[in-house]
Amino acid sequence: MAGFSKLAKVESKLLLRDPGAIFSMAIPLFILVIFSGGAGPGDTALPSMSMTIAVGLVGLYMVPTTLATYRERGILRRLSTTPVSPGALLGVQLMLQLVFAVLASAVLVAVSVVIFQAAPPARVVAMATAFLLGTSAIFAVGLLIAATAANGRAANGIGVLLYFPLAFLGGLMQPKEAMPELLAAIGEFTPLGLFRQAVHDAWSGAATQPLLLAIMAVYALVIGLVSARCFRWA
Amino acid sequence: MAVIEVNDLVKRYGRLPVVNEVSFSVEQGEIFGILGPNGAGKTTTVECAEGLRRPDSGSIRVLGLDPVRDGRELSHQVGVQLQESLLPENIKVWEALDLYASFYRAPKDWRELLAEWGLADKRQARFGTLSGGQKQRLFIALALVGDPKVAFLDELTTGLDPAARRVTWELIKRIRAAGVTVVLVSHSMDEVEELCDRVAVFDRGRIVALDTPANLISAVDADQHLRFRPLTPFDDAVLTGLPGVVSVTRSGDRVIVAGRGDFAGAVTSALARDHVPVAELRVEQHTLDDAFIALTGRAFDTQER
Ligand SMILES: Nc1ncnc2c1ncn2[C@@H]1O[C@H](COP(=O)(O)OP(=O)(O)OP(=O)(O)O)[C@@H](O)[C@H]1O
Ligand SMILES: [Mg+2]
Repeated sequence: MAGFSKLAKVESKLLLRDPGAIFSMAIPLFILVIFSGGAGPGDTALPSMSMTIAVGLVGLYMVPTTLATYRERGILRRLSTTPVSPGALLGVQLMLQLVFAVLASAVLVAVSVVIFQAAPPARVVAMATAFLLGTSAIFAVGLLIAATAANGRAANGIGVLLYFPLAFLGGLMQPKEAMPELLAAIGEFTPLGLFRQAVHDAWSGAATQPLLLAIMAVYALVIGLVSARCFRWA
Repeated sequence: MAVIEVNDLVKRYGRLPVVNEVSFSVEQGEIFGILGPNGAGKTTTVECAEGLRRPDSGSIRVLGLDPVRDGRELSHQVGVQLQESLLPENIKVWEALDLYASFYRAPKDWRELLAEWGLADKRQARFGTLSGGQKQRLFIALALVGDPKVAFLDELTTGLDPAARRVTWELIKRIRAAGVTVVLVSHSMDEVEELCDRVAVFDRGRIVALDTPANLISAVDADQHLRFRPLTPFDDAVLTGLPGVVSVTRSGDRVIVAGRGDFAGAVTSALARDHVPVAELRVEQHTLDDAFIALTGRAFDTQER
């Protein structure tokens, strides 16, 4: 256990030293600042989008890049010669990335509400539920990239390549209403689209759509299991 | 009791065995060398002993434990330096040592290791900024931080300059003096000659010889050469009849005497008796290189990767 907490401490320092962390915080904040002029007071759509961008960057960019780099550099392999298993490192990483996603989202909520007069989240528990399920689904995709990419750079490339179409389909590039109908319909069922919609529902006080939550849970479970099955440690 | 026992180890990739019925044992407190050209199966063998790879057949015991089944327990008692492994770019030297120390039941004081391995002034440096030699020394320190009974060091001095190599060798001798058993994978002949109590010579997945470096060298059944420049003319017949001398040839103003056993002593006393002064007298000793050629029929460093 001593090893575990030290591992968490060192890994969190490394996470904060990663330029990707600054990137994942700065981009959604930037979007929020740039576009908030167009959003009226009480708006919750733009803040939900910026939160989705943040979690998407952490899950599709930071998670796979970090884990695949650890494998590529033989760090997971080296760990398996010590009393601490590489699985522990994987667990610590996912936990820290989750914490980071929560903190980034909290900053975005605070900035939206305090500076840009967004409405405060209407239903906090529903929002936390949507956040957790959606983040799990997005992280599962990141884990799948980490599991299958040959190395850190490939993981990075796949993550970025996947990010843009998913962000487009998820309604992060333009409002859903402005998208071609078919794409908008498909986009509703992509991880980022589900996350954005479910968080937006809770934030604005609209009724919870259990179907969205269920699909996110299925994504998290199925994709998570598949990536656990095909995860290579070396 | 042997600290490591390997019996009939076989490891295949595809249909081809890359380690083929290898057996050896390592005694408490020795530095055991594993020597061989690229691709001989050295890393595969030690990584089976470290529990990183599963043997296809054969048995391995390290400190009486099975590396695969008892991996967790064994990991407290062995230290490992992998041939190919890095750390995160942004981790600081002290953080890496502190972290790895926290994994073990009874770790060493990592501050002492830091000083011992010449990294004290790099304490705050990030891994990515270290030189190759500094990285290598950090890996050795990490292998020792758990205070292991057995240390596996794969390509110990790769990337070190000659001075750093010497320093490292002295430190390895100190590890042995402290009672740690060391398995040293190397393809450097001089390193093995300098450090190892016994050496297993690997070639194409098999052990072709296992002995002390001195015995391996003296077992080479080939002529040795003695060269000199005579300062006065003399007749070759003075030397050709001597015991052990195989041939006498001249090349310019040099004389080259080929022979076996203690022929050099006979040659020099015969020259002295006939009052032939010589200059630039050289005996070319056999080295482990010659031993390797004699064992495999091939030169050591002409191996393809
Ligand atoms: N994971 C693997 N998959 C397939 N082939 C492998 C694998 N690991 C090793 N080999 C093959 O097994 C052979 C022995 O490799 P090994 O790494 O044990 O050699 P080595 O003696 O350590 O060489 P070197 O001096 O270059 O480190 C090589 O031909 C290598 O290509
Ligand atoms: Mg090797």
